[in-house]
Amino acid sequence: MKKKTLVTFQPYVWLLPSVILMVSMILIPIISVFKISFSDVGRSGVVKGLNGIQNYLDVFAEPTFWHTLQNTIIWTVVVVGVSTVFGFVLAMVLNQEFRGRKFVRAVVIFPWATALIIQSVIWKYIINADYGSLNVFLKKIGLIDAFVNWTKTAGSMFAWECWVGIFVTFPFVTFCVLSGLQSIDTALYESASVDGASFWQKLFKITLPLVAPSLTVSTVLNIIYVFNSFPIVWTISKGAPADQTHTLVTYLYKLSFTDGKGGHAAAVSVIGFVILAVCASIYMILSLRGEEES
Amino acid sequence: MKKKILSVLLAAAMVASLAVGCGKSGGGGESSDGDGVKLDVIISQYGNYTQDWWTEFEKTFEEANKDIDLNIEIVSWNDIYSVVNTRISSNEQPDILNISGFADYVADDLLMPAEDYVSSELKDNFIPSFWESNDMDGTVWALPILASCRSLFCNMDLLNEAGITNPPATWDEVLAACKAVKDKFGADIVPWGLDISTDEGQAAFSYYTWNFGGGFVDDKGDWALNSKENVEAVEYIKTLIDSGYCNSAPFTDTRYPLQDAFSAGTLAMMIGPMNMVAADSTVNYVAADLPGEKTALGVCDQLMVFKDDEAGDARTEAITKFFDAFYECETYSDYMVYEGFLPATQDASDNLAANAENYKVGGSDATGSSDYFKTFCAVLPNCKFYPMQKAEWMDVRNGVIDVEQQVCNGTMGAQEALDQLQETVAK
Repeated sequence: MKKKTLVTFQPYVWLLPSVILMVSMILIPIISVFKISFSDVGRSGVVKGLNGIQNYLDVFAEPTFWHTLQNTIIWTVVVVGVSTVFGFVLAMVLNQEFRGRKFVRAVVIFPWATALIIQSVIWKYIINADYGSLNVFLKKIGLIDAFVNWTKTAGSMFAWECWVGIFVTFPFVTFCVLSGLQSIDTALYESASVDGASFWQKLFKITLPLVAPSLTVSTVLNIIYVFNSFPIVWTISKGAPADQTHTLVTYLYKLSFTDGKGGHAAAVSVIGFVILAVCASIYMILSLRGEEES
Repeated sequence: MKKKILSVLLAAAMVASLAVGCGKSGGGGESSDGDGVKLDVIISQYGNYTQDWWTEFEKTFEEANKDIDLNIEIVSWNDIYSVVNTRISSNEQPDILNISGFADYVADDLLMPAEDYVSSELKDNFIPSFWESNDMDGTVWALPILASCRSLFCNMDLLNEAGITNPPATWDEVLAACKAVKDKFGADIVPWGLDISTDEGQAAFSYYTWNFGGGFVDDKGDWALNSKENVEAVEYIKTLIDSGYCNSAPFTDTRYPLQDAFSAGTLAMMIGPMNMVAADSTVNYVAADLPGEKTALGVCDQLMVFKDDEAGDARTEAITKFFDAFYECETYSDYMVYEGFLPATQDASDNLAANAENYKVGGSDATGSSDYFKTFCAVLPNCKFYPMQKAEWMDVRNGVIDVEQQVCNGTMGAQEALDQLQETVAK
């Protein structure tokens, strides 16, 4: 009887450290953020009591919030979308036999493996109009006569930030897809060729269905990373000019640590949480439905 | 099944990822024990060697006061507000804090009046304008730790080569000088350095509005952000940018890269702190009055005392001893030369105007310059300060930066933007 009890509880004992870690590092902070979002928080961080949904009403009344939300959607869709397409194409190329393939594969991983903050600072200097290396290079090869201000408008600033996002994200997609491609049996392609299938038919009927699990994993993880990405936007623009290049994460950071509005920051955090929860639910429903159908 | 587990894991990771980073740590702190008093002090990092000076001070102070355990923590300016707020929210506030701005802490009932911790001799020794700048509703809540003032820095070699013989004294002369520099050097030299970033855009607002005759408040001390002088000043900033006279990224360039550019000789003019030119710079420069009304911005950081309901008289006595030791003329003069700032006490001002050569600059064998202190200490009493003692200051600070960026970005007119800000602040 004693032995049976031990066997029954043993898995839970092994799980306990992980559970404690998740509760203390994830669950309690989440509950805390929810509570703060319904609280009146002083500029110095003092919680003065509950204030209902006032923080949410204040946030919704702020035009900057809606612009930031729009930016966040554009940022996530563009960075994840372009990275996925570009990463997929590159994976197809790197899956071919050619001289120097190992070297190219090693080089491609660099943008992803380097710390985001370093990438962001480097790109900030590259595109600087007064001393940036992009202008110097273009002038040296004669493409421009005078230095160009690449970030003159909020739109151009945000476009550059999206580019940096894509630059640091696509290698992850490439390697996820590459691992999927390498697991496909070449006999499938040989049979399809014998049957007269074109490149596009092989792509849509063989390659895509078989790398779909890898693509799904990379897309979902990238949505999380990119939606929550902080260093790129904060390092390059800090949301400037006039808060027009913020994403939700940089906006809530500014609200909390620059403006001293902890309650508003928590409300924005909860809103972002809800958006990701909705995305996750849709993904789960589609994924489980797909499994049932198959 | 495998796929189902993977789906659930990915979904859970997605949901949990956003909110995790926003929690606050818990904990508690005490400032005294049974045998003596422990004082937690947070000091802002003013330079690369701030830690060294305070380590030495801590050692000397503890030797002289065996019953006081001084625990000094140096925190960089980038982190200090979040560090302090996090500590406050977890009830671990320091006993003494060196920071810029105290109104928020007063509003949240966290501070003790600093005037309760200084002797009458020390109080009389503070330069009156500094002492009064920390007065809020008749109570002095913080002590001025150091000050600096801002001047117009001109690279005279560049200006002379462009045909300008003197630093510009009016705003029209600034435009003329910028045009001359641009015509002479083209894209190789930036005529005018401008920082309207979230880092210090409020400083730019004060340089221009004060010297166009406006400012943050009117004569009665009420907010007057949408005055016609302020509108004119903000429109002038836009003119500087639109004319191509400024650095290309004034929305994100902080003053530090601008100072580097000035020290390297690639920027002709900028308004900056008196110690902004790098020690190894060979630029032939002049630090002149600001154009227009010639009103300089004085920046004064503070020391403040946090409440501790459980502490007794021993803590009060220890804090008083700390202030007496720090503001002692020799010690305080040494710190001012070490960090390159101006003193807020009268005896240290007099001492440094005559004997700055007796003290070392932090991290080097160079000594202070009496002429330097004589010149800038004389300017200091006439400087204007930010209205930090007003409860709405942080909203105004962020608001004026937003106004500058919106106007200069062309998304809103100066009058409309300032009217909106005035309306928001006056609510």
